[in-house]
Amino acid sequence: MSTPSNSRNTILERVRNATRTAELSSDRVAAYEALPRAYIRKGRLNAAERVALMIERLREYDADVIETGPEGLAGAIATQLKASGRRTFVAPEGLPAEWMAGGFEWKIDHGLSASEIEQCEGVVTGASCGVADSGTIVLHHSARDGRRVATLLPDWHLCILNASQVVETLPEYFAGCSIAPTLATYISGPSATADIEMTRIKGVHGPRFLNVIVVRDLAQN
Amino acid sequence: MSQAGYHPVLDPALAPPFPKAALPVLRNPQLRKNVAHAIDVIQAKRARLVTEKSDWQELRAAGAAIRDHALANLGAYLEQFEERCTAAGGTVHWAADAAEARQIILDILRRENASEVIKIKTMTSAEIQLNPFLEASGVKAYETDLAEIILQLGHEEPSHIVVPALHVNRSQVREIFAHSMGINDLSDEPKVLTAAARNYLRQKFLTVPTAISGANFLVAETGSVSVVESEGNGRMCLTLPRTMITLAGIEKVIPRFTDLEVMLQVLARSATGERMNPYTSVWSGVTPGDGPERFHVVLLDNGRSSILAKKTERQTLRCIRCAACMNGCPVYRQTGGHAYGSVYPGPIGAILTPQLMQMHHAQSLPYASSLCGACYEVCPVKINIPEVLLELRSQVVNQERRQVKKFFDPMYLGLRAANVAFSSASLFHAVQFFGRIGLKMFTGSDGWIHRLPSLGGKWTQTRDLRGLPKQTFHSWWEMRQRATRQKEAG
Repeated sequence: MSTPSNSRNTILERVRNATRTAELSSDRVAAYEALPRAYIRKGRLNAAERVALMIERLREYDADVIETGPEGLAGAIATQLKASGRRTFVAPEGLPAEWMAGGFEWKIDHGLSASEIEQCEGVVTGASCGVADSGTIVLHHSARDGRRVATLLPDWHLCILNASQVVETLPEYFAGCSIAPTLATYISGPSATADIEMTRIKGVHGPRFLNVIVVRDLAQN
Repeated sequence: MSQAGYHPVLDPALAPPFPKAALPVLRNPQLRKNVAHAIDVIQAKRARLVTEKSDWQELRAAGAAIRDHALANLGAYLEQFEERCTAAGGTVHWAADAAEARQIILDILRRENASEVIKIKTMTSAEIQLNPFLEASGVKAYETDLAEIILQLGHEEPSHIVVPALHVNRSQVREIFAHSMGINDLSDEPKVLTAAARNYLRQKFLTVPTAISGANFLVAETGSVSVVESEGNGRMCLTLPRTMITLAGIEKVIPRFTDLEVMLQVLARSATGERMNPYTSVWSGVTPGDGPERFHVVLLDNGRSSILAKKTERQTLRCIRCAACMNGCPVYRQTGGHAYGSVYPGPIGAILTPQLMQMHHAQSLPYASSLCGACYEVCPVKINIPEVLLELRSQVVNQERRQVKKFFDPMYLGLRAANVAFSSASLFHAVQFFGRIGLKMFTGSDGWIHRLPSLGGKWTQTRDLRGLPKQTFHSWWEMRQRATRQKEAG
C-alpha cells in the first residue's frame, strides 16, 4: 500500500494522463460557461399562482399547510401548536419572540444537547426559501431556521414561510444564492420511506409531521 | 439465513457468470414477483413525473454536459474540492484502491477509539466491502437506511442501488425483524415495520459518535458534499456524531454549487419518481456549533481513472446512481440484481463492474443485455449504455480469442472457419452447399428446426429456427436472370 501523499499524486497523475488537462485555464472556464442550459430557469407564474402551487405541492407530500396575513401570524402559530396536542417546543435562537405563543414550554436553542432536543415534542422555525415547483422548503440554518439538529429530532415541525420567499423553479433559488450556503437542507415533505414493497410510509427518522404556515406578505396577496 | 433461499455472491472476482447466477432467481417465483412489483411501482411514478416536466430533455442534455465537463477536467476540480473542503475545516484523504480506502477509514475510527459506527446507505462502501473489514477489525457497523437494515439483519445482499431490499417482501421483513429484534407480536404492515426500525435505531443515532456516509455530489467550487435521502437517517448520521467520514468516488465531483439545480431535478424523478426526495443535505467542512467537530472525505479511485482514460467508456462515470436504467431494463426485471454478482447491478452495473475489475472479472456482464436501449432512453445523464456494452463485448472477444484454452471453443473454431470461408466466393458457395445439406438433417417435417447440436443448441434451447428455404436467394436470382434472358432471346 502506498503512503497517503503518494496516492494523492498517483491518482491525480492517472487522472491527468487520462484527460490530458491540468488546470482550469480561462478556456476551460469559458467551456464551462458555454455548457448547454436550455432548461427552464425562470418561472412563468404570477405571485398568487406561485404561492398556490407551493401549497398544492406541499399538500401532496402530506404536509399540513395554512395561510395567514402577517397580522394573523402569531394567532395562527398558537392555533397550530394547540391543535398539535403537544406542549414542549424547541425555538431556534433567532425565532421572533412574538412567535412563541404563551401556554407552551419553549426551549430556546442556545446550544441544547441532542438529548434535550430529543425530549421536545416539536419545533418552530423560519425558512430561507420555498421552491413551488417541487414543494421544497429550503433551510440555510440561520438563527431563525435553526440548527440542523433542531429540525431533525422533534417529531413535529412547524415552518413559517413568507410568500415573498417563494420562487417557482429550483434554478431561481440557486440564482438567488449570491453566496453558496455553508449548510443547507432541502425538505420536501415529511421523512418517508418506500423500502418495503414500495409502500410510502410517512415518518421514519426525521419529523413525522411537517406543518407550514404561509404568510401572505406580498401586496397582491 | 437468507430469506431468498440462496446465497448470491456480490464479489465480481468470485461470482459465477451471469447466465449461471441468474438461474436461482428465474426458478424463484416469489423473488421475481417481488422484483417485478417494486419495479412496476417506481416505473409508473417516474413516467408520470418525467412527463410532467416539459424541459426534461433539456435537463438531460445539461446533466450530461455538466458531468462530461467535470470528468474532462477532473484533476483540476478534485484539487479545487480538496482545497476548499480543507479550508472549510474538512480533511481530504486519497485512496488509490479499495484496500487503502478501508485502511484510511479504520485508522480514523481507531484514532476516535470507535467500537461502533453508524452508516448512511453507500454503495461505494459496499464496493470496497467495508462492513466485513470493519467487523473483522473490531468495529461494529450499523446500517441506518431501512432497506440496509433489512439486508444487514437478514444477512441478505443488495439487489438494487436505490431500493436495495426490493427483492424482500413484507412478510419476509417481518420475519427478519421479529427474529433479530426479538419482537414476537410484530405485524407485517409496512407502517409497523418502519416504526420498529425507528425504535431500533433511535438510541444508536443519539449515542454512537462516529458515522460514515457516501456522497451524491462533491461540489468543487465550495468544497461541499451533498447527500440525497428520504428517511432522515442520513441527516441523523451527518448531524449528531462527533466525527463524520464521507467515502466518495473521485467521479462524484461537479464544478459549481449551481450545478445542483440540474442534478437535483433529474435525480429524484429518475430514482424514486418524486419531484424531490424528502431530504437533501449540503455541507462544507465543519460548522462550529452545528454538526460534527471533525469531518473527513476519502476520495476513492479503485479503477475509475482507468475508465476515464477510454474514449467510449468514459461516459460510464457520468452516472449519478439513480437506478432508472435497471428499473427500465427487461433483463433486470427478470433476474433481479443478484445475478450481476456485483453491488452495481442492472445495465449500469453491466458496464461499470467489468471496467472497475479492469476487465479481469465479470466478462459475462456486457452480454447481460438485449441491447434494446431502454436504459439509454431513461438515463438522466444520457449514458449510451448499449454503445459501451458493445465496446466491452468486443474487448471480451479480443481477450478470449487469444486464449489457448479457447482455441477449440466451438464459437471461435466456427468464426475462424467462417473467416476462411468468407474470403473467397467459391469457398463460400461450397460451404453453403454442404451447410444446407447438414441443416436439412435437423429440419423437422413441419419445416422448423427444433434442436441443434453444440453452439446452435443455445439458440434452439429457447426458440425454434425456421428451416432453410429450398433455394438460396443467389440461385433464385440466377434462375430469374436466365429466364429473362431466354425470354428476350426467344
